[in-house]
Parts: sequence; structure tokens; C-alpha cells
Amino acid sequence: MNQTTGNDGSATDTFAHVEDRRASSGIDRDLVNIVAVFALSAVLILCSRFVSPALGSWNQVLTILTLSSFLIVLSFGQGLVILVGGLDLSTPSLVVIGGVLATVYGSDGNAFYVLPIALCVCALIGLVNGAGVVILGIPPFIMTLASSIFVASAALGLTGGTPRGNSPEILAFLMKERWLGIPVVVYFVVLFAIVGWIVQSRTTLGRRLYAIGVNREAARIAGIDVGLTEAIPYAISAACAGFVGMMLVGYSDGATLRMGDSYLLPGIAAVVIGGSSILGGSGSFVGTVGGAILLTTLGTVISAIGLDQGYRTIIEGSIILVALVLLREDLFSGLRLRNRKA
Amino acid sequence: MSEARMASVECRGVSKSYGATVALEDVSISIGPGEVHALLGENGAGKSTLVKVLGGVVEPDRGTMSLTGEPYAPSSILGARRCGVAIAFQELSLLQNLTVAENLCLPKLPAAKAGLFSRGRTIEKASQILARFDLPLDPEEAVGRLSLPDRQRLEIVRAFSHGTRLLILDEPTASLSDVDWLFRLIENARKAGTAVLYISHRLAEVRSICSRATVLRNGRSIDTVDLAGADDNRIFEMMVGRSAKKTLSTHAGKPKSSGAVLSVSDLTTDILDSVSFELKEGEILGVAALEGQGQRDLFRSLVGLEKRRSGSISVDGKVADIRSPKGALASGRGMAFLPEERKTEGIFASLTTASNMTLPVVGNVASFGVVSRSRERDAAGETADVVDLARRYLPFRISDLSGGNQQKALLARTVMTGARILLLFDPTRGVDVGTKQSIYEAIRQFTEDGGSVLFYSSELPEITSLAQRCLVLYGGRIVEAFEGDAIEEQNLVGAMIGHREDSAASKGAYS
Repeated sequence: MNQTTGNDGSATDTFAHVEDRRASSGIDRDLVNIVAVFALSAVLILCSRFVSPALGSWNQVLTILTLSSFLIVLSFGQGLVILVGGLDLSTPSLVVIGGVLATVYGSDGNAFYVLPIALCVCALIGLVNGAGVVILGIPPFIMTLASSIFVASAALGLTGGTPRGNSPEILAFLMKERWLGIPVVVYFVVLFAIVGWIVQSRTTLGRRLYAIGVNREAARIAGIDVGLTEAIPYAISAACAGFVGMMLVGYSDGATLRMGDSYLLPGIAAVVIGGSSILGGSGSFVGTVGGAILLTTLGTVISAIGLDQGYRTIIEGSIILVALVLLREDLFSGLRLRNRKA
Repeated sequence: MSEARMASVECRGVSKSYGATVALEDVSISIGPGEVHALLGENGAGKSTLVKVLGGVVEPDRGTMSLTGEPYAPSSILGARRCGVAIAFQELSLLQNLTVAENLCLPKLPAAKAGLFSRGRTIEKASQILARFDLPLDPEEAVGRLSLPDRQRLEIVRAFSHGTRLLILDEPTASLSDVDWLFRLIENARKAGTAVLYISHRLAEVRSICSRATVLRNGRSIDTVDLAGADDNRIFEMMVGRSAKKTLSTHAGKPKSSGAVLSVSDLTTDILDSVSFELKEGEILGVAALEGQGQRDLFRSLVGLEKRRSGSISVDGKVADIRSPKGALASGRGMAFLPEERKTEGIFASLTTASNMTLPVVGNVASFGVVSRSRERDAAGETADVVDLARRYLPFRISDLSGGNQQKALLARTVMTGARILLLFDPTRGVDVGTKQSIYEAIRQFTEDGGSVLFYSSELPEITSLAQRCLVLYGGRIVEAFEGDAIEEQNLVGAMIGHREDSAASKGAYS
């Protein structure tokens, strides 16, 4: 038998050293994921030069950042909902209602109070989603899908089928103007990403959301007001979606009743590609931002190839699938599981 | 160590590393046919990894294994099972949403026509297994609805039904207070020539069932000893690498003050029946009971996790309507609850240890809602010292810690809340000797500083040495209360099995 002799202090020290290394590798895993997403975007942009010389230029990068601003804002809210183990399928309708409220009631003069009120209306709708999930115990995707239908119908009724009105000036300024040669919205989105990251990863609210997402029962036992806390992400998600509607109004100077449709799945995909588990309790907003940029880059490059819409969607879908398989959190958590201490 | 007879199971020089972490290094162990062999070691010594290697869950980096003389290298848990090797896992591995019968028969449910499985034959086969191993469970019951002890028994029975050559029992008694049933099963398996590897922290139990023991420390096999010829101190010494300091010291002093901080009167739930008692300032009040006598309900209803039918709870003399653990924290001087199941009710696996500890009071280390990492680290560090948790663990994910360190962190969480009443449900469940001492010390310190502790333990020596008073629950009622020197195992056991239940004298004689 293997009789160990010698002093035990050194054995313990060896072990301590080993464990410290394990801790640092834990940080690396998350970083690797985020770096991979951003690097993929960069590679895609560079490669796109081979498709068309117009692609890959500085202007092209700015355009991609502008276009990804919609997805970044949208997926912040969606990311928080996913963080607590939910899913928000009402985002397309809220994009529409946000845009419709901004064009129907907003004008250059009253935008300063109409837009905030409209955002509050959206948040309220989100709170109803949250209440349905928390109080009535309705599964999140059913609750949000149902409210999505209500909200879409309300938008239809409000506009009689064709939304009229133009974008308030402030929205056009946000989406179309440049400052020092860079679109205003790029500054905005950088700020939004920083604030979003702080909210999710550095605040007490964010901490509680992670806790609920990881282990709801333990969160309750630890003394967290799970019900109230869990409803908040739905309100934030709805407000984010409403704001995306307003951004779209500013970008295209008007609202349509279908303008939210193409954002539902990319909004979810950005979160998951960014390294969050679809089951909740993990991920970081920085990763989500990377995911949103990657998806937007992909869309831009593919549409530049000039294929038919049908093929384009198939290619886009396949690439998203591959990205999800390669970048998903489970892959890393699987490794982590095997890393478990004996 | 020379083996005259051929070993049933033999490992030679088994090593396993996960990246930089060495979990096992050059471990050798041999178990004869019909031998019950104990595997001892502190948490994190490598026991679980060795179990996983033997069970085909992980492949070793180096080393050889053999089973009755033939080379044995399972590539999966099913591969191991085909060779007659089965494990009853410490972290139960049953599928909660399936029935008892389905759990027993998986992965191969008895087939019916058209590739479907036959429900009738599944139940029939399961009933036979349950009967053979003397476990009276309804085969059609969903596993998720079973009590924890029943789930553990089912996990054990499933292992027995598959393990014909080597049976590995990893902490099989962690939630069983009645071990006779298990020992009968082991005895039968032993007679049938099955080799049994038995892992437990309870040395008394190990001594009564095992003949030899192999001690692991820091991933190495230290030695294999005949249990008859090795006293406890020698074994502790091999486990921790130094001689065990002191064992449990006896009764702590009387509580300083006699003011009741928590009084419960006529508390009645679905299981509890008019439970009344008082907890005083600076007191350690123990709860002793066989499993399933309402202790779980008692603790959970005190913090609002279980519905109260009637009765009242007063904290600091004021009636408190507690509906959630959050409410319990906010009542009077505050009550914090340490739950029964570390994994499902306690830890947040992907958060750091520090975040796990500060979570209930994370607002205290934040300004304007933004958490200050340095303040969090300092606050967590201070409390970590109280429960003897090394500060270097704080930035790790809590899931990377051993069970004992996780438990220390969870105890630290209840202390951090600032609550002056701690409700600790089996605080030393499945942790090693060293960790137990740290937990006892932390509890004592807490009460010496004027805190009050209500604790349940499945291990009687813990109650006899820690508690100043002790309540005995039986059938949802308090049947006896003991104080001071009267708290001794024999008295407790008598009350726990309920044989004094009908004697009128014992009722209402407490508080």
C-alpha cells in the first residue's frame, strides 16, 4: 500500500496551489466565450471583403454597429428574463406598440413627455406579464405569447391598420445624426452596454436575479422576495422592446405593424450565443452584446452576397445553429461538471 | 499487504487529474469477495472520484483495475453495471418525475408490443425487486413525492438490484436514521459473495459493518487497516494527517439570560400537532427525532415555508405572522434558516462563495444598488473566519468547493443575515470530522455572544454534547423535553421511539 510519509504541510500547500489555479480558469472560461463571439464578428467582417470590396470598411463597421443597436437593446431585456429562467415572446408586439405610440401621439414638441410615458406603458404591460407568471403561475412563454396577441391587436385598433405620423425629431437625431463622424446611436449603444452590464452583473438586483435563475427554492429560503424580483425582468424587457420600436421609428421615419417580427428569435439567439444558458442563471450582458453584433454582422454579410431571401434565411439559420452548438454555455458547464472536486 | 485469496476487486496505482487538479494519485485498494470494505477520508480526499472511477463515470488517467481477476475498464456507468458493478450515489441519482417502478427498471423497461414499454410488467418487476429488498413502497408513486429517506432507500435498492460483484454505497445513511434495514441487505449481499465498498463519515457505523478500511487523504491511499486493530484516534490521524484534537466537549454552560426570544404555542400543521416550546437568549435547543416525525415541518413552518393551520409564533414577545423566510429574517431580532438539502435548497452553484454568503444581505455591501466587491469580500471574509472557512475559497464558485466547505459557507450565510436566532436543520449532514468541529465551535460562539440556536441533528452525540435543552418529537408532537445532564443518548432514544408517548407525565413538562 501507498504509505505517505513526510510532512503534511507541503502536501496541503501543493493542494492549495492547485485549487487556486482552478479558480482562475473559471474566470477564463467566461472570458473565452465572450472573446470568441467578438472575434468571430471581426473575422466575419474581414472575410466579407472577399465578397465585396465595399464590405469590411470603416463605414461598414459603423453601419453594422448602428443596425445591431436594435438587437442589443432588445436582448438586454430578453437576457434578464432568460436569466430568471423565463422567456419573453411578447417583444415583437411591444416593439410595434412602442413605435406606434411614438408616431401616433408623439411630435417634435411633446416627445419629451410622450416617449417616457409610452415607455412606462410598455413597462406596465411587461409587469402584467410578470404578474401572470409569478402570481398565477402561468408558464412564461404562454403568458407572454398571450399578452403579445392582446398588444398586437391593440396596436391594430389604435392605428386602424395603417400607422400614420412621422418620427419625432429626437428619435431621428438619435438614429441618423453623426457626431465626430460616428453615428450618435453608436455612442448611445456603448453607454447602454456599460449600464446594462452594471445592472446585470454588479447590482443587488442583478445578483438576486442570478440567484433566482440558479436555484429558485434556495433563493426563497435565503430570504429573497422571489415573486416581486422575478416580475421585474419582464417589465424591463417590455420597456426595452418598446424603446427598440422607437429606435426603428427614428431609423425609418415611421412605424409598421410588422416591424417587430424579425426581432423575436434573434433577440433570444443573441443571449444564448453570448454564453447565457437558456435555462437561466448564467451569462453576462457583454456576451449578449457580442452575440447581437455577431448576428447583425452575419445578416449584413449574407444579404450582401445577393442570394434570394429564402436561401439567405437558410444560411443564416444554419450559421446560428452552428454558433449555438459551438458557443453554448452547456458545453462549458459540461466541462465544469467534469471538473468537479472529488 | 499480501492477499492469499484472489481479490474480487483490485485497483493498482489509479490516478486521475482534472486539468491542474489532482483528484486521485496512485491509489490502490483491493476488496475480497464477500468483504465489506470501508473507504474513509475527509471531504475532498478523493472518495467520490474513486467511486466514479470504479463505477465507470470517469476514466482514470493511469492505473489498472481488475474484477475477479479479469481486467476491468468500464467506459460508462452502463458498462460497469453490465459487469455487475453498481453505485448508490450520495447525491441521489433518481429521476424525480418518473415512478418508483420506472426508476428501478430503467434503462431497460420491460417491452410490450410495438416497441412500447409495458406498464404492467414494469410494475410487476419493480414489485419483485422491492419485495426482495424489503422496501414497502408503492411502485406507481412518483419519486419526487417520496420523502428524502425513502428516496435514499430506493437509490440503495436500485444499486443492490444491479450490483452483483461490486456494490458501492456512498454515504448511504446520510438521511437514514434506521440503519438495521441497510445492514441486513449488506449482510445478505456479503453472504452472496458480493464485494461491498462502504463510504461513511460515521465511524461507529463503519466499525459495526466493515472488516477493513482504506483511508484516503489528499487523493492518495494512505493505508488499509483491519478495523478491529485500529482505534478511532489512529484512524482520525490517518484521515487528517495529525492526531484529532479534542472530541466533543460536554455540555456548555447554562444560558446566561432566561428571557424567551422565540415562543411557539400550539403550532399545528398538516403534520405537527400542537407544538409549544420556548427558545431562550443564548440557548442551544436541540431537537431529536427519528426521521419523518415532523422535525422538517417544524423548521419549515417557523420560517413560513409550510402552512400553519393554527397556533402562534412570537419573536421577542411579539406575535409574528411569518409567511416567508424573508419575513422570518425581519421578525424581531430575526430568524435565519439553514435548510436540510445543501444542493437543492442551499447553494447557488454558479455564484462565488462570497456571493453565496452575502446574498440575503447583499444590500448592505452596496451603494445605490451597485455591489462593492471590496466591501463584499471584507464582509464575507469576516464571517468566513467565524465558521473557520479559509478565505481563499471566497472567490471560487461554490460548486467547486467540497461539501464540508459548502456547508460552512451556508452556515456563514445565516450568520451574516444578522439574525440572532438560527434554525439549523442537520447542520453537519454528510460533512467530515474537521468540519463538524468548526460548525460546533461556530454554534457555541454564536450563543455565547447572545444568539439563540434551535437545531435538529440526525446524530445523537451531537445533541447530547451541544444542546442545553432538548425536545423529542414523535408523530408530530413533542413527547419529552430534557435538560442538562438528562440529555443522554439512552434517554433520548427511549423517547424517540415513542415508548413513553402515552405516559401522561411527559406531556407539557417542558419550557
